[in-house]
Amino acid sequence: MMKAVVNRIIPNTLIDGPGSRMAIFLQGCNMNCLYCHNPETQNQCTGCGYCTGVCPAGALTLSGNKVNYNQEVCCGCDRCIGMCPHSASPKCLELEDEALFETVKANEDFIDGVTLSGGECTLQYRWIQAFFSRVKAQTGLSCFIDTNGYMDEAVIRELCEVTDGFMFDLKALNKEKHVLLTGLDNRLVLENMSYVSEQQRLYEVRTVVVPGFTDSEEEIGNISEYIRTLNAYTCFKLIRFRRQGVRSILSDFEELSKETFEHLYNIAYNILGSRAVNTD
Amino acid sequence: MTERIKGIIQDTRLEFHQKRGQLAYEAENMLPYVGINERSKEYLDKRIICDIFEGHAPYRPRYILPDYLRFMKNGSEYLGIKPPEDLYEAVNALLIIYRYVPSITGYPVYLGQADELLEPYMDTVNGQEAEKLLRLYLTHIDRVMPDAFVHMNIGPRDTKAGRLILKLEAELRKAVPNISMKYSEETPADFARLAVATALEVGKPYFINHSAMLALLGENYGIASCYNSLNIGGGSHTLVRLDLKAAAGLAGGYQAFMDAVLPDAIASLCDIINARARFLVEASGFFQSSFLVREGLIQLSRFTSMAGVFGLYEAVELLSDGLRMGHDRPADDMADAIVRRARELVKGQTGAYCDGTGGKIGFHAQSGIDSDLDVTAGVRIKAGMEPGLFEQIRLQGSLQGYFDTGVSDIYNFDSTAKKNTGGVLKIINGAMKNGILIFALNTADSELVRITGYLVKRSDIRKYENGDPLREGTVKLGADSIKNKSVLERRIWKSDEGCC
Ligand code: SF4
Ligand code: SF4
Repeated sequence: MMKAVVNRIIPNTLIDGPGSRMAIFLQGCNMNCLYCHNPETQNQCTGCGYCTGVCPAGALTLSGNKVNYNQEVCCGCDRCIGMCPHSASPKCLELEDEALFETVKANEDFIDGVTLSGGECTLQYRWIQAFFSRVKAQTGLSCFIDTNGYMDEAVIRELCEVTDGFMFDLKALNKEKHVLLTGLDNRLVLENMSYVSEQQRLYEVRTVVVPGFTDSEEEIGNISEYIRTLNAYTCFKLIRFRRQGVRSILSDFEELSKETFEHLYNIAYNILGSRAVNTD
Repeated sequence: MTERIKGIIQDTRLEFHQKRGQLAYEAENMLPYVGINERSKEYLDKRIICDIFEGHAPYRPRYILPDYLRFMKNGSEYLGIKPPEDLYEAVNALLIIYRYVPSITGYPVYLGQADELLEPYMDTVNGQEAEKLLRLYLTHIDRVMPDAFVHMNIGPRDTKAGRLILKLEAELRKAVPNISMKYSEETPADFARLAVATALEVGKPYFINHSAMLALLGENYGIASCYNSLNIGGGSHTLVRLDLKAAAGLAGGYQAFMDAVLPDAIASLCDIINARARFLVEASGFFQSSFLVREGLIQLSRFTSMAGVFGLYEAVELLSDGLRMGHDRPADDMADAIVRRARELVKGQTGAYCDGTGGKIGFHAQSGIDSDLDVTAGVRIKAGMEPGLFEQIRLQGSLQGYFDTGVSDIYNFDSTAKKNTGGVLKIINGAMKNGILIFALNTADSELVRITGYLVKRSDIRKYENGDPLREGTVKLGADSIKNKSVLERRIWKSDEGCC
């Protein structure tokens, strides 16, 4: 029996992989992207207790160095998240793979599969192995992972054994931009992506089109070209940058205009055809 | 009375046909109400039971589902129509007979299984002509029968005509006709997905659980008006409904409601229904004089009557001291017990001229009318109070099975669903597996707003509010409904943006 730290569960989503899916967001991340829309998923709670003071509903209490969260009385104002100095959330739940599996099982009639996302869910890859193995053994549901791709080669190989499809969030193909956006080099990401592609499991590559970083014709053209040479099946999903939720210097940036986004999408479309997906 | 009549005549928001309909209603109501007992009268006066504007002396069945297939085969002597030989004649024949099918509003509530009716003629013209003819057919229906209760069926089989109708409906974006798609394993996935895509655009068709309906009513059933499942070649004499919320208000508590109030109210409900059916069949002369009967397009033996219930959500809330269906398990159990008991009571009575449903009155979850205030349609969960989508479906699925003549629920999706019709179809499949009989869906940003069982255009509602006359009587109903019933508040199923 293993436990995962879960930020939240969305029982029905139509945008996290093929068909109707349940999405589970695991807590913790290994990147610190400038445009992170959900910074509260980045770190594990330290138990500092700051957030307990701002909760208007009395949903948070501190015992020792652990916050207790009472879901029943929480009003969902998210003040706790806004004030957490550690980019964490007191509302995470520690769930055993069996308990989560029961929720999945109960909704089996309505979903095509389960998608794990985050944060960076693969940080909890041992748990994923256990959970997905259970799902695969006892249901006909497909198992997908939404990842930034930054993990050891051994980890991605093991995950490929239990995962039907990956959605790779490619922050940037241009190395310098990737470093600027995430603080990390993208070599490992690209290697893993190519391995997953060979395994016929690269369902989708997603890129957020961020002004000043990934909004050049060259970058979008290069990513599209890169995907085209990888295989003949992976989709490329372009996502327009929005300020909502962003805390870094990018929160002052202009949002990308619809017109520019459309123009960039057309570049991708010219290279990939209907494999280029417009989320606008 | 003279004031009321003058009011109708001078109402600038009503056009000629609407005025004439309302004046006829006033005239009918100068006769005494059909013979019902004192207790039933009280229920009607207090509006705990209501006959939804049927009038005092019924002279036509409320819902008629003519056997149009027979009409296409034989033509009609009365109408001077020969069996059609090509698509031109087929469309023309249907458009003619529609005008001769009576109802409460004067517009036909059932247009037939349009795809099956037209498919045999699709190859008599070329593709372009076929498209043009069907566009004219649908446009004619919208302009000449401007009533959102005018209802067409398609499916479950894949047909050229069915696909063309879906395509044209998405393009025409009109509230009329309303459409139901019979859906089963027989329906190819790409046809079903086309229907989902159309429904996400224009709120129709709704999806009918065909295999479950077959088990309930047999092969020859149709969906008429808003969510009424009835026999083709028959229909329903009347629909009278019981307000469960108001009835619950009469009871001192749950036990008293189940033991005394509900049996008494349902006895009256059935008394009114049977009196109306008897008057219609025995005294109005309809079945003796209608060409539909004479030419075998309807038969008395395929008719029934409908006993409707609504306001279950509030009844449960009242009788359980505030528990909420969809959220509290005991409330769900109570909802189930009430519906089961109501059905038992309805089915315990003899239905006059109800051979269409085995001599018993059909049981129906009534989806509300514009004047309903703070009371929820049928057995649905109150708008805005829906639990998770799947919980809502599971609860509704368990309740819908009690109803043999119509029940429904509406599920709202956000616009991301448009890019994932396969995912929506998966949810519909799951819903049917969990007992849902009729699945209606809607998108939040759609120009057409689904009210209870019908659609109106947002822009038309704005016009009505400005006092402009409109072609559709249902727009008035819709506009009032939106004001009274938080239609726009229904919970939207949003697929959240994933984390980065
Ligand atoms: S959620 Fe953040 S503020 Fe609250 S206890 Fe954890 S680390 Fe501290
Ligand atoms: S969101 Fe956070 S701060 Fe707001 S009520 Fe819930 S626990 Fe308290």
